[in-house]
Amino acid sequence: MRILFFLAALFAAAPAFAHHSFAAEYDGDKPITLKGVVTKVEWENPHMHFYLDVTDDKGKIEAWKFEGFPPNMLVRQGWKREATLKIGDTVTVFAWRARNGLNLAHSREITFADGKKILSGPPAGTGGIN
Amino acid sequence: MRHLAALILCASLAAAQKPPVPKTADGRPDFSGVWQGGGAGGLSFAIGAENAKAARPDGAPAQGGTGVARAEPAPYQDWVQPRLKELRDRRAIDDPDNRCLLAGIPRITGMPLPLKIVQTKDEVIFMYETFHAFRVIPTDGRGHPDDLDPSFLGDSVGHWEGDTLVVDVTGFNDKTWLGNGATIHSDALHVVERYQRVDYNTITYNVTLEDPKMFTKRWTLAPSFLTLRPGERLREYECIADNQDLQRFEELLKTPTVFVRPPQ
Repeated sequence: MRILFFLAALFAAAPAFAHHSFAAEYDGDKPITLKGVVTKVEWENPHMHFYLDVTDDKGKIEAWKFEGFPPNMLVRQGWKREATLKIGDTVTVFAWRARNGLNLAHSREITFADGKKILSGPPAGTGGIN
Repeated sequence: MRHLAALILCASLAAAQKPPVPKTADGRPDFSGVWQGGGAGGLSFAIGAENAKAARPDGAPAQGGTGVARAEPAPYQDWVQPRLKELRDRRAIDDPDNRCLLAGIPRITGMPLPLKIVQTKDEVIFMYETFHAFRVIPTDGRGHPDDLDPSFLGDSVGHWEGDTLVVDVTGFNDKTWLGNGATIHSDALHVVERYQRVDYNTITYNVTLEDPKMFTKRWTLAPSFLTLRPGERLREYECIADNQDLQRFEELLKTPTVFVRPPQ
């Protein structure tokens, strides 16, 4: 029993999935990393969303939308509303693209300009069927 | 150096001397507090190897566990299989949670938001951050009411077997899933939960399920556990207000080839 708990403790981080099916909306086989400037943060239940303006090699700006954990889960991982992710911040986001091909992705991790990283969403493959 | 040794000794003693399991005035283990379920991979792992495999093509457990406690597959009757395949092929787009409907038992226990337990002499009250659900579980020896309406959380009555809180749940509707990954059930579902506070920080959670309309036999889930969250408070989790999933699902359904699983 003690071994069970020891092993279990290794995986006892915050449960990964949230309220809905990741796999229906997002493709775990399509990871994407994008760098851009934060234009909007929607700190809303059941899931947070934020937006980046991403500039490509030719100088063209495209707007991207990202989904993330519920605010309650973000707070418990150390996020603070209106402090952790702010409009104007330049960040790099690792995410998985939406199946519909639009500029929408489910974020996993955000890297800030100073190199600091923070988790923003669950790993691919949770909360649904791939 | 001597100070360092003393410090290490103190730290070791502190680690060894975990607080004992608190007791109520009548001598029961006291479950009161804020807890987070889903330990040991949680219930999405515990729902069974078959569903875990469906959730991940490589057969890896859906929650990142490593075979801590291999789950028994869900014992569905043959007639249910085509329906399960249909739901899996639609990548669980039909999951009632997507519509913010109350997650049933045992699923709500493993959700990634905490729950609060308040224990009195005759009742144990569970308050879930998930969808603001609550259960008032009598432990005074009464049975289920005889006028139950089918419901998402069913009707719970509890009793004590030694230090274990045993909760019998019946009176379900057929509108919830037991976990992630197309785990449907009928209104004949009968759940027995066993909660045991094995140490200060841990409640083990063992569940058996019977569903004579859909299962071939009683189904025992892999064990999971709840972890104490000292100082945590329940927050509001209003699920419908900004739920964008349904709108996106409608869009996806216009071109099902985008998300329907290819033949496995």
